[in-house]
Amino acid sequence: MSKRITIDPVTRIEGHLRVDCEVDGGRVTKAWASGQMWRGIEVILQGRDPRDAWLFTQRFCGVCTTVHAIASVRAVENAVGIEVPLNAQYIRNLILAAHALHDHIVHFYHLSALDWVDVVSALSADPAKTEKLAESLSPWPRNNRMELKAVQDKLKGFVEAGQLGIFANGYWGHPAMKLPPEVNLLAVSHYLQALDYQRKANQVVTILGSKTPNIQNLAVGGVANAINLDNEATLNMNRLYTIKSLLDEMVAFVQQVYVPDVCAIGALYADWLGYGAGVTNYLAVPDMPLDSAGTQFDLPGGTIMGGDLAGCKPITSFQDDYFRKNVTENITHAWYDGDWTRHPYEEETVPKYGEFDPDGKYTWVKAPRFEGQPMQVGPLAQVLVGYATGHEPTKKWLTAAVDLASTVAGSPIPLKALHSTLGRHLARAVRTAVICDLAQKHWDLLVKNIASGDTDIYVKPEFKGEQMGFGFHEAPRGTLSHWVVIKDGKIKNYQAVVPTTWNAGPRDDKGQPGPYEASLVGNPVADPERPLEMLRTIHSFDPCLACAIHTLDVEGNEISRVRAL
Amino acid sequence: MKVGVVGLGNVLMRDDAAGPYVVRRLEAAYEFPEGVELLDLGTPGLDLHPFLEGLDFLILLDTVRSDGKPGEIRTYGRDEILKHPPQPRVSPHDPGVKEALLALEFAGGGPRHVLLIGVLPGEVGQGIGLSPAVQAAVPAIEAAVLRALHEHGIESAPRRPSAAPDIWWERDGTEPVPELR
Repeated sequence: MSKRITIDPVTRIEGHLRVDCEVDGGRVTKAWASGQMWRGIEVILQGRDPRDAWLFTQRFCGVCTTVHAIASVRAVENAVGIEVPLNAQYIRNLILAAHALHDHIVHFYHLSALDWVDVVSALSADPAKTEKLAESLSPWPRNNRMELKAVQDKLKGFVEAGQLGIFANGYWGHPAMKLPPEVNLLAVSHYLQALDYQRKANQVVTILGSKTPNIQNLAVGGVANAINLDNEATLNMNRLYTIKSLLDEMVAFVQQVYVPDVCAIGALYADWLGYGAGVTNYLAVPDMPLDSAGTQFDLPGGTIMGGDLAGCKPITSFQDDYFRKNVTENITHAWYDGDWTRHPYEEETVPKYGEFDPDGKYTWVKAPRFEGQPMQVGPLAQVLVGYATGHEPTKKWLTAAVDLASTVAGSPIPLKALHSTLGRHLARAVRTAVICDLAQKHWDLLVKNIASGDTDIYVKPEFKGEQMGFGFHEAPRGTLSHWVVIKDGKIKNYQAVVPTTWNAGPRDDKGQPGPYEASLVGNPVADPERPLEMLRTIHSFDPCLACAIHTLDVEGNEISRVRAL
Repeated sequence: MKVGVVGLGNVLMRDDAAGPYVVRRLEAAYEFPEGVELLDLGTPGLDLHPFLEGLDFLILLDTVRSDGKPGEIRTYGRDEILKHPPQPRVSPHDPGVKEALLALEFAGGGPRHVLLIGVLPGEVGQGIGLSPAVQAAVPAIEAAVLRALHEHGIESAPRRPSAAPDIWWERDGTEPVPELR
């Protein structure tokens, strides 16, 4: 007999992700992902000055702020046909790189690691054994038995006081938790250290962007960072060196802690390499432009259909026709008025809320398609496209990560195992390491360009008649595109097709499920009351839906509703 | 003494803007001694904690859910905020006040004193501008902040001449943005 499981944190805030699964014989047989809040903030932009749009779009979401700012200025620049100065490209690249480093570290340690790591089990670890194990993985100096013992003692103090504090909501002791106590202790100590590196990444964004989480330094046409190496108030050598040393510290953490942790945890859960593939069509756009026109990039873009890496089709410029022509969104199963498939320039946003109807409309998220196909976006798409196009930094880090994971697992892990829940984690770590290399490279490029005497940061945009454009950014969670239609200097239409829309979108008019939905099918579920395995797969995508409202519920004692019927 | 006055909420979601709105009014109207920082942080989810690290006293301004009418103000201390454990997260974006305070408690370096000044929202649908009930509550929220600072020995002075608050999201879209040179 099949059971229905619903994960629905509805009692907490408006605007979140609901996941429904049908489970039969301990496996998910059908799944639905539903966005529970209307994301039609684009409507607010109609009639506004396009030079203001980025300020508003970066408030779409409180975590992915800079990414919407960058995609927005690129869209308007594309519409008016301007090329921004090199300094502006490099400064933007450093901001987006620092943001990505920050985002991926937080995602792994503070959101998803606790799906795999049993904090309570860390109490029974032997710190000396943990140190020895860590030495086999990494030269990180803070993996010493004294520091590990201190973390364990602190944890013990919390547990003895009858509270787990930040860890109180985990599925401790769940039958799907399988790591040895020593690995759990190592991971808990890195959880704490990751808090420091989250702050360092923030500092980089603050120095360049004036403020975080909402940066102030962008402009349509460039950036507002005046450059004068000898002036206290501008971007100067002192600030540039601060950025460099922060980046260097983050690089060490990523290379010596994050990547080895993911490889080790992945290898110790090797049975999970068979779950969670779902949609194996992948989309990534190029990013970190190397020229003003946006025709050369340090991160590659392209599409892969049906897992066929050899057939990867590249996406090569900010003007790319293959990308521009092939993106559509469908609303057959989304709470909007009508039943259509349209190009973003042609879309309208007319909400029509109904009940959750698994055979009809059941979500606020539209179903984006590329050449009519659902696409998975995010680090796995980025890494597979990089590998398929021969991108050297991606090949280097992917090979290193798979080798380390294979060593820990004691048997070789094939490339095709990347199409999985754990593959998304491994790919995210690989992508983070790649971005580390490139952040350092773009710091060099910026400093050399300034040293050559170029201090240009801005080109004035001109508006006239009807102008249409799109801008994309390969954000931490995947391909983000903004589409703008401008009439006489005012915004006429604006659409944002965001990474989580690609991944969390519903079925389309042909009944093809979106990536979340497809990836859940086949997942094991040991305990329907505690569906940890479903959360593992959903978390592996790094979902981003619930950020729009911030009403606190201090008095309420409701917990996320997990219903097993 | 390091103090953070932090406004939380989405400025594009009507009354959810109350926290950022008050922060921007306060920074325009008052001068605060060194060590007091006013921050409009939007909806940072799990990214909140770096901003709280190293603070002695944290004042949070936010909308809250409680029984009562829109515009009513509720205040909560640290223990009340942490009375119920945080819930399992689906995404990094769920409000992260409890998580941030607990993470700092575990790691060390969190604020000893916390005061949440919350206002009950009327409308939190998509849109710009506070509802009349919450707009009317703004002076009382500001007074509550100044009073809380005073109780911790921190005096603020009215800024002369006062500056116009930078409520940029309420610009109607027809005014030009400042030109860059």
